[in-house]
Amino acid sequence: MVLVGVDTGGTFTDFIFQEDGGWRICKCLTTPSNPALAVLEGLGRISAADKPHVVHGSTVATNALLEHKGARTALITNQGFEDVIEIGRQNRHALYDLHYHRMPPLIPAQRRFGLRCRMDCTGRILEDLDLDAAEKRVREIEQAGIESVAVSFLFSFKNPGHERMMGQMLGRLGIPVSLSHEILSEFREYERTSTTVINAYVAPKIQGYLRTVLDFMKDAPLRIMQSNGGSISVRTAMREPVRTIFSGPAGGVVGAYEIGRAAGFNRLITFDMGGTSTDVALIDDRLPLTLESSIARHPVRVPMIDIHTVGAGGGSIARLDSGGALRVGPQSAGSDPGPICYGKGGQLTVTDANLFLGRLIPDHFLGGDMRLHPDKISAPFGQMAAQTRLSEIQVAEGIVQVVNAAMERAIRVVSVEKGFDPAEFTLFAFGGAGGLHAVFLARLLNIPRVLVPVNPGILSAIGMLLADVVKDYSLTVMTSGSCDPQRIEEMFAPLETEAVKDLFAEGIHRNRISLKRYLDMRYEGQSYEILVPARGDDPVAAFHELHRRAYGYCSVQKNTEIVNIRLRAVGVSEKPELKKGELSNEPLCEACFLGNRPVVFEGRFISTPIISRQGLCPGNRIQGPAILVEYSATTILPPGAAAQADAFGNLLIETWTG
Amino acid sequence: MDVNPVLLEIFKNRFSAIAEEMGVVLNRTAFSPNIKERRDYSCAIFDARGNMIAQAAHIPVHLGSMPMSVRAAMEISFSEGDMIALNDPFRGGTHLPDITLVAPVFLDGEKPAFYVANRAHHADVGGMSAGSMPLSSSIFQEGLIIPPLKIISRGRIDAGLMKFFLSNVRTPVEREGDFSAQAMANLTGIRRFRDLVQRYGFEITRQYAEALLDYSERMMRQAIESIPDGTYRFADVMEDDGFGAEDICIQATVQIEKDRAVVDFAGSAAQVAGCINAVSSITLSAVLYVFRCLMPEAAPTNAGCFRPVEIRSKPGTVVDALFPAAVAGGNVETSQRIVDVVLGALARVLPGHIPAASQGTMNNIAIGGVDPRSNRPFAYYETIGGGMGAGAFFHGESAVHSHMTNTRNTPVEALEYSYPFRVTQYSVRKGSGGSGLFCGGDGIIREIRLDCDAEVTVLSERRKRGPYGLYGAAAGKPGKNTIIRRGRIDARPSKFHERLQADDVIRIETPGGGGYGREPSDV
Repeated sequence: MVLVGVDTGGTFTDFIFQEDGGWRICKCLTTPSNPALAVLEGLGRISAADKPHVVHGSTVATNALLEHKGARTALITNQGFEDVIEIGRQNRHALYDLHYHRMPPLIPAQRRFGLRCRMDCTGRILEDLDLDAAEKRVREIEQAGIESVAVSFLFSFKNPGHERMMGQMLGRLGIPVSLSHEILSEFREYERTSTTVINAYVAPKIQGYLRTVLDFMKDAPLRIMQSNGGSISVRTAMREPVRTIFSGPAGGVVGAYEIGRAAGFNRLITFDMGGTSTDVALIDDRLPLTLESSIARHPVRVPMIDIHTVGAGGGSIARLDSGGALRVGPQSAGSDPGPICYGKGGQLTVTDANLFLGRLIPDHFLGGDMRLHPDKISAPFGQMAAQTRLSEIQVAEGIVQVVNAAMERAIRVVSVEKGFDPAEFTLFAFGGAGGLHAVFLARLLNIPRVLVPVNPGILSAIGMLLADVVKDYSLTVMTSGSCDPQRIEEMFAPLETEAVKDLFAEGIHRNRISLKRYLDMRYEGQSYEILVPARGDDPVAAFHELHRRAYGYCSVQKNTEIVNIRLRAVGVSEKPELKKGELSNEPLCEACFLGNRPVVFEGRFISTPIISRQGLCPGNRIQGPAILVEYSATTILPPGAAAQADAFGNLLIETWTG
Repeated sequence: MDVNPVLLEIFKNRFSAIAEEMGVVLNRTAFSPNIKERRDYSCAIFDARGNMIAQAAHIPVHLGSMPMSVRAAMEISFSEGDMIALNDPFRGGTHLPDITLVAPVFLDGEKPAFYVANRAHHADVGGMSAGSMPLSSSIFQEGLIIPPLKIISRGRIDAGLMKFFLSNVRTPVEREGDFSAQAMANLTGIRRFRDLVQRYGFEITRQYAEALLDYSERMMRQAIESIPDGTYRFADVMEDDGFGAEDICIQATVQIEKDRAVVDFAGSAAQVAGCINAVSSITLSAVLYVFRCLMPEAAPTNAGCFRPVEIRSKPGTVVDALFPAAVAGGNVETSQRIVDVVLGALARVLPGHIPAASQGTMNNIAIGGVDPRSNRPFAYYETIGGGMGAGAFFHGESAVHSHMTNTRNTPVEALEYSYPFRVTQYSVRKGSGGSGLFCGGDGIIREIRLDCDAEVTVLSERRKRGPYGLYGAAAGKPGKNTIIRRGRIDARPSKFHERLQADDVIRIETPGGGGYGREPSDV
């Protein structure tokens, strides 16, 4: 059996698998109109080997949402609440925009149907479901050519009776039906409805896509990556596709977590810098989860890996604004026209600045596969220097400083603002541009160490191979935090029974299942919840401590309440082992040196050796300044930094030596 | 000083990050749904003279008034660890529920080097009706007036003062929780300021704070310069004050001369008995909001934006109220009309940019009583969105808060957990936007059934005449307030206060936005 990780990206679909104990990579151009084509092409190339066992991160759901190209979906709500998804939270995202427009709802008014029925907040029925009217709606939906239906009634998480009845009636239509209490059993109707609607909206597309891939693979096993950092069976992914949004970035964080752990680092800040955006996340001995994500401004409240994204990357455009500040991004030159040095672009970007500073080497950019045009950037830098009354070098370094400041802010959001000191973490850099900026960024944040893994350009696919099977469950309970432990046991019991049953169905053996309990807690009357791991001990004490860490104080005399209970069921999967080499004291082999070139550090050119990353042996040490090049990435060691290749081939960089 | 464009950009982001992080802390540690769910608060940072350096984009009505709070607080001498609370509308406040907490940032010197401040709308500060948004005829009926007072002294809460305050409000536990959240937000701001100074040094930090004010000033001057020179006038009315005064005029004359603007409110009515009087800080906020809308969205909002704009108003008028006028509604209702009037004046010269009137009210609703489930008193306050005005190339957005506010709704399920109500309808009010070549946005219908007896206060506007349309289009539909008791539907005026019984239903229909341009069939 060969385990294959497949990650559909914007430009390439990446495949990674192990052969002869080493990683093998294959890249196919992504086929946006039908992404299955690229997946099938790659698998075709690989399956010459053994029967593949595939873990796949797909962008089908994400793209359907971003491009507003999902199914013709209907929504059933209580009568009088059909517009909840349109009103949202009634606020606007831009404060000073007289021409403000919100994202239109995924389901327009004419396909939103209200039915008389109502529960109160304890789950008591105030008004029965009007079955005749419901039957009529089902017939209307049948006749209107609807492809998918979402049902969301108030307080269905307290009493799902009416949603279940509706689900049964809709069942005969043979189209996907998403019931809100099954997708997200939590209070706050807009967020729950939005999550359910997204699920319904992408379900037919995902189902069609996965069937195509499955047909090709015959009966070979396929698992799908989720945004919570775990994988899931195809069957579950078809039923709950909302859980597959943003699975690519989640794969990257899982990859960082596993590789970091193997290398001995379990506190990481991940830094994935690409062409148009940068993702950062903080790992404190466990995968970080958030319950507050959104996509295209539609809230998604299923647990996701907590990734903070900023619109700044290698393609971000630099300009002097009308007030006299040097701005970088959020506009991006993308890949077309791309930075000026790609040949077609017209506006200076971060990539152009790195080239100007000597930090990108034309001969080694994508192994020399892509030609860079250093000659085209000198005139634009000259112009901007005149505009800003700075030297050209100052402009180029300035562009990098401004973009680094944006990255620094992103990292502060996930660390300092949550009570963590970045100095206690390792910066885990990947993505095309991560290594170019990582050490400079680490210095800004007093981070002592940077780790750049092998194959930093395809970490997401690696992460997918390393991911466990994970299912998340939750339920709003709204009860006192000091309730007795017996009550907590009772609340979790039905969730745990369901979880074990589900993981069994996923093919996970009982002794590989672990169940992790969490409580969403808050002070009574507060309206923001903190996720508290419940490990049998005193959850109230744990809550006070977490509150103090995050916000600097706690009030032990105040009553607490448990808003939601959460269960994370993990089925530990078979994983490829990371190959470990022997550390040697041998000096760097001659063949690694590819010559010297002048590179700007702090305002002046310094002659800097270029070193090939492929040739490094575990244990090799390199003193900055140096530039390490490999196929898909470049890593800069400024003066004062030093790197060593560890037993796994990772580059461990000391930010400051001496 | 030579301003480096790179450092200017870096400081711009660092300063706004401080204000934004204060907001994150306030939001997450607050107790009341009013702050966490509705986000009715603002955070900002100031230089040693009280000039605002950065404000997190929260609530526009706090824009011009926060600096006045800080200046009022600065009259008290500070020591390290002090914080000053205030809500007095005649000394830097806006209306009593908005409590501002100001803290100095001490570095090495004996005087504060910077200030941080935040303002949050508390759901009750005492006074004649629950929710402290009463139909009052004097400030004394509206709640407890807090002049600038040292509530925290050298890091210690003044327990006596706090006890006094909490004894005068209906929901003391929630108030105390929100207060501590406000203090935490300021402490976070102070800590981040120190980090910043540690990295760049005080002198550079101070210089770039100043450079940023100049930067915003330049952007504002460019925005004003794009308006043709001239004098433009517009008038509209507040419908009533709840005490018999009707059609209370607000008039603005905008004079543009190159890169400077003067906004004169001569011709506006004298202050009235009812609570819709606006203090001068509100008028300042409303005018600045309009001009700020002419700048790029990403430009930093700070004291520099205010420099090229002069405001003239006569003390004792409805746009510059004097003590002891009732002001609870000036902040939420009159501020919207001031925006309508200033935008109306500019519409003629910037027809492509200025839209028709948006709903022009915040539809305040406050309900108070004793929750039969817990036997504890409750105070609920909320505002409801409506239609936005259409523009030269677009229909107005529906069911959204506009102009001077941006608070969120309370989710129906959160509301029913917290209060003895049941929401029976929450929907878009179809067809309420003004028709035209481009139609105004629709308002909202929100209907609440009470599970127990309670007192209800509604403070709203645009109930007789809808928000104006432009260039031949129709106005939006006016809003409607009704009470439904045992199937009988009774209309209520724009402002009313009454005791209701269990099972009574309050139905609020909010105004649609004005349309833009004549419909093709009319031409």
